[in-house]
Amino acid sequence: MADIAGDEGDFTVKVVTHPRYVDTSKCIACGACTPKCPAKVSNDYNEGLDKRKAIYVRYAQAVPLKYGIDPAKCIKLTKGKCGNCEKQCPTGAVNYEDTETTRDIQVGSVIISAGFKPFDPSAYVQYSYSKYKNVVTALEMERILAASGPWMGHLVRPSDEKEPKKIAWLQCVGSRDVNTCDHPYCSSVCCMYAIKEAAIAKEHSHSGLDAAIFFMDMRTFGKDFEKYYEKAKTSGVRFIRSRIHTITEQPDKSLMIEYATEDGQAKTEVFDMVVLSHGLEVAKSSIELANKLGIELKSTQFVKTTSFAPVSSNRPGVYVCGALAGPKDIPLSVVEASAAACAAAGKLSSARGTLAQTKEVPQAVDVRGEVPKVGVFVCSCGINIASMVDVKAVVDYAKTLPFVEFVENNLFSCSQDTQDKMAQTIKEKGLNRVVVAACTPRTHEPLFQETLQAAGLNKYLFDMANIRNQDSWVHAAEPEKATEKAKDLVRMAVAKVALLQPLNEVKLSVNPAAMVIGGGVAGMNAALELAGQGFTTHLVERDAQLGGNARLLRITAQGEEVQPYLDGLAKKVMDNPLITTHLATSLKDVEGFVGNFKTTLAGPAGETVVEHGGAIIAIGGQEYQPSEYMYGQDPRVMTHLQIDAAMMNGELDAKKVNSAVFIQCVGSREPERPYCSKVCCTHSVESALHLKEHNPDCQVVIIYRDMRTFAERELLYKEARAKGVLFVRYDVNQKPVVKKDGDKLTVTVRDHILGRDLLIDADLVGLASAIVSHKNTELAQMFKVPLDEDGWFLEAHQKLRPVDFATDGVFMAGLAHYPKPLEEAVAQALAAVSRAVTVLSSAEMSLSGTVAFIDQRKCVGCGVCWTVCPYQAITQDDKGLAVVNEALCKGCGTCVASCRSGAPNLRGFTTQDVMAQIEAML
Amino acid sequence: MSENAEFSPRIAAFLCNWCSYGAADLAGVSRLQYPPNIQVIRIPCTGRMSPKFILAAFRKGVDGVWVSG
Repeated sequence: MADIAGDEGDFTVKVVTHPRYVDTSKCIACGACTPKCPAKVSNDYNEGLDKRKAIYVRYAQAVPLKYGIDPAKCIKLTKGKCGNCEKQCPTGAVNYEDTETTRDIQVGSVIISAGFKPFDPSAYVQYSYSKYKNVVTALEMERILAASGPWMGHLVRPSDEKEPKKIAWLQCVGSRDVNTCDHPYCSSVCCMYAIKEAAIAKEHSHSGLDAAIFFMDMRTFGKDFEKYYEKAKTSGVRFIRSRIHTITEQPDKSLMIEYATEDGQAKTEVFDMVVLSHGLEVAKSSIELANKLGIELKSTQFVKTTSFAPVSSNRPGVYVCGALAGPKDIPLSVVEASAAACAAAGKLSSARGTLAQTKEVPQAVDVRGEVPKVGVFVCSCGINIASMVDVKAVVDYAKTLPFVEFVENNLFSCSQDTQDKMAQTIKEKGLNRVVVAACTPRTHEPLFQETLQAAGLNKYLFDMANIRNQDSWVHAAEPEKATEKAKDLVRMAVAKVALLQPLNEVKLSVNPAAMVIGGGVAGMNAALELAGQGFTTHLVERDAQLGGNARLLRITAQGEEVQPYLDGLAKKVMDNPLITTHLATSLKDVEGFVGNFKTTLAGPAGETVVEHGGAIIAIGGQEYQPSEYMYGQDPRVMTHLQIDAAMMNGELDAKKVNSAVFIQCVGSREPERPYCSKVCCTHSVESALHLKEHNPDCQVVIIYRDMRTFAERELLYKEARAKGVLFVRYDVNQKPVVKKDGDKLTVTVRDHILGRDLLIDADLVGLASAIVSHKNTELAQMFKVPLDEDGWFLEAHQKLRPVDFATDGVFMAGLAHYPKPLEEAVAQALAAVSRAVTVLSSAEMSLSGTVAFIDQRKCVGCGVCWTVCPYQAITQDDKGLAVVNEALCKGCGTCVASCRSGAPNLRGFTTQDVMAQIEAML
Repeated sequence: MSENAEFSPRIAAFLCNWCSYGAADLAGVSRLQYPPNIQVIRIPCTGRMSPKFILAAFRKGVDGVWVSG
């Protein structure tokens, strides 16, 4: 993207397409070009640890899987000689004359997700990254450990390609450091990835790797992160609290590390390899782009957003997501991506669907009862299959197979003209089953299924024989055996396809109304966004007023006042004509499924039934009520929320507090609650700063285990230290003690540097009390969604589907998922809306044909299938027998495998289908 | 060559469409070479894997069954 002109709702975006020198419409990713390319260049995908060619595909999973030429390294493009790839290309896709093109795109909103740049540690003289071969960055380590990396996942060190026995990870390289790189922030992700790399390296090691992580504070604050940290400790990863100042190379290329222990002793240790856990920074190009577009950046160079609009830039209509707006991990980036999509689509919702086109598909002929007439199309894929597999022999063989009516060889089965011809042949020959022996169904099945549909055949009367990816490409040295295997694969596919039956894709109507459960910040934001996009919304809140936990919050980490925002939010909700608010109401029963829920609400006016197509669960969490540290025995011992409330209502006058002590991890990171509550470190620092601001002479001590002021919250921690707030670390086995001595309140804590007890008088003891879940199993059961062992709602995939449930049509946001700061709750609310709109915006849903069904004559109602179904798609009918809800079934087939009497079966993968393949295997 | 050296086990592989079957495709894209005496059957999920399939494969005469997902 070169530039954006215009305003919100009417932007003209200038987009530059750089020349690729390969026509992507012609490239079939056969890879014939690469072996003949004479230019060997450093492979940037593997961080320069191995070589690639000048014509290449960046990585095997690239989408679209198309080649491109590196113009800086191509001999033809730089010197005018060579041209090998053009000669090799079977489809004529190479075009050395390709040029840069520029075009304008008219859009209403723009989302920028330019990401981050890994910090380049060459600048650190003391780590000698560019000097010592066995000092690698964490990203290089990722590539070393990857199966697609330079050594195919074998753990070796770069200098001698031998397996290291000892590896050290050094944290905070390019983070929390103003001396070398001017990055005062925490990069948020490095602690976790270092633990992950150490754990994986140990798995890949043959000799029981000794892995050591040198750190300052271990910041495992995310969902299940603390458990991962504890597991790593148990598995033997060493965690050493020290920042490394010097690395020295030994004659055998090993590396000596000098470090200081917590009690001040100097130590040395030799490692075979050192990994630098480098942080995240904004690329210079992103900064330039932001400046050009008039997008405001923070002092850290990340894009400025607010806690209340976490994906909006200062320029109306331009949204941001991911690490461009602050260091963050994959789950939060994915949340923000959906949130940005929601925000970007919100104001454009009136135009939804106006550019969509519907495809006309002819009515499929009914083939039931007909004798199978199978057509087999054997693809040469240029020379990709034909050079290894004797395609003619496969064609001749296919003709001998039962039910085969027609066989043909194509040069490129996927080309448009072949597709048209194939459809014609199906019609002319009256074929009612089709096998394509070519590449993989994972990429090409939809394409060939379209061809079947165009020919008037049900698209499920189709199978593929994978004779390229899983045959010719992997048995290149054994052409005869590859040919035999191709015949086997075709025989198996023909055996299966002859049994296949046409399948129906059931259409379901969708009720375009939503229900949001929970009227806190997340719930209210979700309701407003849904209504903003035109959907009738029911907001259900248990309490008599909206607001939830945020009613007790003073400020956000960015210093914004919460109460005025909350009042404004509640007013907007109450005033919105599309939102019906049900206060003092809870759910009694939920019937139905995605698209058509029927929920019974119990409120002050009795029971009401609400129909809706989707639901967002945002029921929040609650503050842990401590039993420790004299809480409840002395009014000066208060929790976070009590302190905030007292500061806001004036009961606590910050000017009159002369000594305050905050104790961290009260109820968190304990055996009964083995998770980090994520927000408490920052909360204590905010309160400490508030006290210091009103009374600079106030002595403030924060007693902590690890300061987890992640991402840019680190700046608050830095500010607090600069203003004289004292930080004393305690060991979980030697917790601080709060005592009352007459009228005096004292806190005793063991100082780990001095090795002595400190005795502190306190006017105020703040407890960083944990956030605990409501463990609402009733609600979970009503919507058929799971809770994890700590009572948080469990998402479909922690990284890739962070606000979805495995059950369709139900989404989550806010503290109900896990403790989180306000801006993340808002982002999640927007993300959940974005996901819900994918359901609500379609008048009807088309369901897959490959779903399970029950032969009730064989069913005894034992219940095994509905117990094992991961999608809660099987229920009992009034006779007590199993019945499949096709709207919820994902076609995994677990029910089929579980049933002793063979009542369930899976369409498209029936027991008979698979058995036919097994029978035809040899 | 002795009889033992000629033994080439015939292997039936039941691979999950979403992971292992995809990995087998990637092995092809990366041109990783392996012996051809393995036949892949694509299943929608290893949850679909029934003990009957394993027994049927052995009955058919394979020497080994690999389930991956």
